[in-house]
Amino acid sequence: MNVIQATLSGALIGGLYALMATGLSVTWGVLRVINLAHFGLILIGAYLTFQITVSWRLDPLLSLVVTVPALFVAGAAIQWLFDRLRLSEFNSLLVSFGLLSITIQVVSNIWSADFQRMPAEVNPYATGSVTLGRLVFPITTLMAFGLALLVVAAAHVVLRRTFAGRAMRAMAQDRAVAGAFGVDHRRLSVLLGGVVGATAALAGMVFALANALTPETAYEWFGTVFAVVILGGIGEVVGTFASGILVGVLSGVVAAVWSPATAPFVLFSAIILALLLRPQGLFATTGGVR
Amino acid sequence: MMRRGGVGLLGAFLALAALGAFADQLGIASFHLVLLGSICFWIAQATSWNILSGYSGYFSFGQAAYVGVGAYSTAVLGGRHGVNFFLTLPVAAVLSGLLALGIGAVAFRLGSLRGEIFALLTLAVPFILAAFARINRSVDGGQGATVPVPELPAAIGSFQQFQFLLALLVATAAVAVAYVVQHTRPGAALAAIRDAEDVAEVTGVATFRYKMLAMLLSGVLGGVAGSVYALQIGFVTVESVFGLTIPLFVIVMGVLGGRRHWLGPVIGAVLIVTLQDRLSSYGLDAYNLIILGGVLALLVALAPDGLYARLRARPLVAAGTLVVVTGGLAVLRFWGELLDWLVVGMLAASLAAIVLGTPQIAARLGLRPTGGSVPSSSAASGDGAAGGDGAAGGDGAAGGDSAPDGDGVAEPVSDQVTVADALAGAVAGDGAVGVGVGVGAGDGDGGRSVPDLSGGKVLVECRQVARYFGGVHALEDVSVQIREGELVGLVGPNGSGKTTLVNLLSGAIRPTRGTILLDGQDITRLPPHRIAHVGMARTYQIPRPFDSMTVRDNVAMAIMFGRTPTSLQRARPMAERHLRTVALEHLADAYPGSLNLHQRQLLEMARAIAANPRVLLLDEALAGLNPAEVDNAVRVVRRIHDSGITIVIVEHLLRVLNQLATRLVVLDRGTCLADGDPQTVLNDPAVVRAYLGRQAHV
Repeated sequence: MNVIQATLSGALIGGLYALMATGLSVTWGVLRVINLAHFGLILIGAYLTFQITVSWRLDPLLSLVVTVPALFVAGAAIQWLFDRLRLSEFNSLLVSFGLLSITIQVVSNIWSADFQRMPAEVNPYATGSVTLGRLVFPITTLMAFGLALLVVAAAHVVLRRTFAGRAMRAMAQDRAVAGAFGVDHRRLSVLLGGVVGATAALAGMVFALANALTPETAYEWFGTVFAVVILGGIGEVVGTFASGILVGVLSGVVAAVWSPATAPFVLFSAIILALLLRPQGLFATTGGVR
Repeated sequence: MMRRGGVGLLGAFLALAALGAFADQLGIASFHLVLLGSICFWIAQATSWNILSGYSGYFSFGQAAYVGVGAYSTAVLGGRHGVNFFLTLPVAAVLSGLLALGIGAVAFRLGSLRGEIFALLTLAVPFILAAFARINRSVDGGQGATVPVPELPAAIGSFQQFQFLLALLVATAAVAVAYVVQHTRPGAALAAIRDAEDVAEVTGVATFRYKMLAMLLSGVLGGVAGSVYALQIGFVTVESVFGLTIPLFVIVMGVLGGRRHWLGPVIGAVLIVTLQDRLSSYGLDAYNLIILGGVLALLVALAPDGLYARLRARPLVAAGTLVVVTGGLAVLRFWGELLDWLVVGMLAASLAAIVLGTPQIAARLGLRPTGGSVPSSSAASGDGAAGGDGAAGGDGAAGGDSAPDGDGVAEPVSDQVTVADALAGAVAGDGAVGVGVGVGAGDGDGGRSVPDLSGGKVLVECRQVARYFGGVHALEDVSVQIREGELVGLVGPNGSGKTTLVNLLSGAIRPTRGTILLDGQDITRLPPHRIAHVGMARTYQIPRPFDSMTVRDNVAMAIMFGRTPTSLQRARPMAERHLRTVALEHLADAYPGSLNLHQRQLLEMARAIAANPRVLLLDEALAGLNPAEVDNAVRVVRRIHDSGITIVIVEHLLRVLNQLATRLVVLDRGTCLADGDPQTVLNDPAVVRAYLGRQAHV
């Protein structure tokens, strides 16, 4: 029973990983930018949710009205910058590493490096849960899972069915040729950067609902989320979702069976093994974004 | 140059050591010694990182792992088990060296390892170790570990002096290692890996071994410096050693200073650490990471080659700025103290060097941009032009002996259309391209004296070789023999498997099944650099020179890492001989970036023959050339062949092959369609059909 609970909870938490990873995976796959600043945006989203909820006593979900547009603009601006600088894939990793350090320091200057948690009276979601027999699921993880499902499904449909999505896939395969056929990569990448920023707002909100915040958490997401991106196959939204759940289940079960502290150890060992056996990612298909 | 750097390093070490040893007498405050010790620690770390990441181009985000292993070795052994500090140093070195080898053994075996994946894999390592240290009570268990102060040698007065001298020793050792690596074979090998790894491997560089060497050096130095760090901070916690600040710092230092030169990380470390120190002395700690992050982002975008190159280009400006700014502040005395002035002066000097060295910025500011002294390719070899043009219009010059008249496509003499004619007609129909395909114009006569083949022994043998890519059968049971002294043309429509065969022969990919022999030796499973040593060399369809090296050094690489290892000094004059063979000696000091396509392809050939191969594989070495260049390239190929090297040439210009090749092998859809002397093969109905489709009348 314990293991079943751990498996299901892990799968739900995996939704949060997938939510964080989808944006990263799509920008990497389509725009050839490894945007570590994405973690900074998620962090800002989480802190903004916290601040708005606490200062204005609003329902945390309403904070999205502010955070989604704000992070859309931020994400679009970062993408515009990358585009202007014409960075190589690797240099984008370095530049965005710099941007991430700046973000973390700014956040910690504003909100201090201490743990911050939304008080229970303004955050009705933190304690709620759904009970199914002897299984308990916190509402926050259900929300994370639901939002992840929504984002992944939307991304999948947009990339597969719409004109903009096809243009992006063309761009992912060969930017120059796509440009020759009239794909305006600059506008598209800024747009995509904005949408990815908006998903960071969602991820940040979900994280703030369930967890205490500290600027250093951005670093803690790093390993797990990148593992999800690489295992899922770069640019593969459905694969990212699947690998998010897999990683969630794995760490959930390991934490339940051994101890929470062993989870990263087992997780990263598993990832290295997986990369050795299938370097293109566990869930990569040939029909992905790339 | 080499000697000067070494002497400078030794001098700096002695001067600083004297400074530390006689700190009391010289009146140096102990906080200055702490700062110097910190600078030395970061020099050691940044240099350790640079030996791997700067030299080889594989960026590691996992430097914290070595620091952590080193620091915990010292803290746990010294603090909990009472082991003498000096005995913990070798333990730290061994452990972090083993860790580095472990990471390398896993990462570099990954089939499709790319720089980003390596960076992210190394990023994960400190997380794993941090988790391990947190759980494990015998290491940390979440409480941290205290480092006892060792008994000081009698000659050293204070702990501050001791830690500084120790850190100085480690830093000097690290820089010395970086210096030696850069100026010896491993440095050349790592630079080649950074420029084009698979080309380096095919050129004879044992890439895996050199990457592992770089990992090992990086790990050992990082670990030892980590031990000293433990001593400096006195109390080791998971956060202080496994955090992301250490990788961030070393990356910023490396990128700021410059990654290709041993001095780069030293410059970066000195600048960053002193800047940090000044910031915290003014209570600006909260802006530390903002400034570091900003410096990293700006530098990567504006000056990715780093300060060393900029300072080198403008040493007088930089030194002048440093003297004027620091001196000015010291004279005016309206603010700060010596360290402040020095840091401001260094920042101003760096800024001046970067601004003046970046043409776009300098131009925008209305300054004279730097000379941009990259040698221009004005000396392009157009010398073959006249000869080639002579054949303009009259395509009948080529292949005269048995083929019908070139105009005869419309009115074939016999029922059979030869491929050569059909193609020539098609090309001539296009107009422009056809103009100088008069091959062999240099030699005048069309019929070339074909060397006697029968006597040559079999040099290369493919037995039933197949290669599948997923479901695509690129090659299917191809059996080919190549005899000594032959010049074999490998032809076939696009996608017929020609380049796959070249890749199999050179070892770039392995066959799905089948055996490949070179001079009687089975090379099927050998790594490419071993195959190169047995005697196979190749060129690439799209030339892939080592961009950071001169044309001469590009060629010298193949000699240095050839069958008999040779030093760079001895390889350079030999390289010039090969450059003369391809008529490129006038560009020996140029960088590949300034060469045109033809010259780059000639460079490919020079590099390939410099390895002293038995067999040379030329993969579309004439593609994209104008007629005059084709003539010149053909002359070079002949010269190479006449020097006794067996050649396999992949080429689409059948008229060229008709002249050049002693035998043609035709591939079609992964199988060997025809094999024999050029005339027979080109008249083969099956070959015509493969080239022109079924509709062509046969």
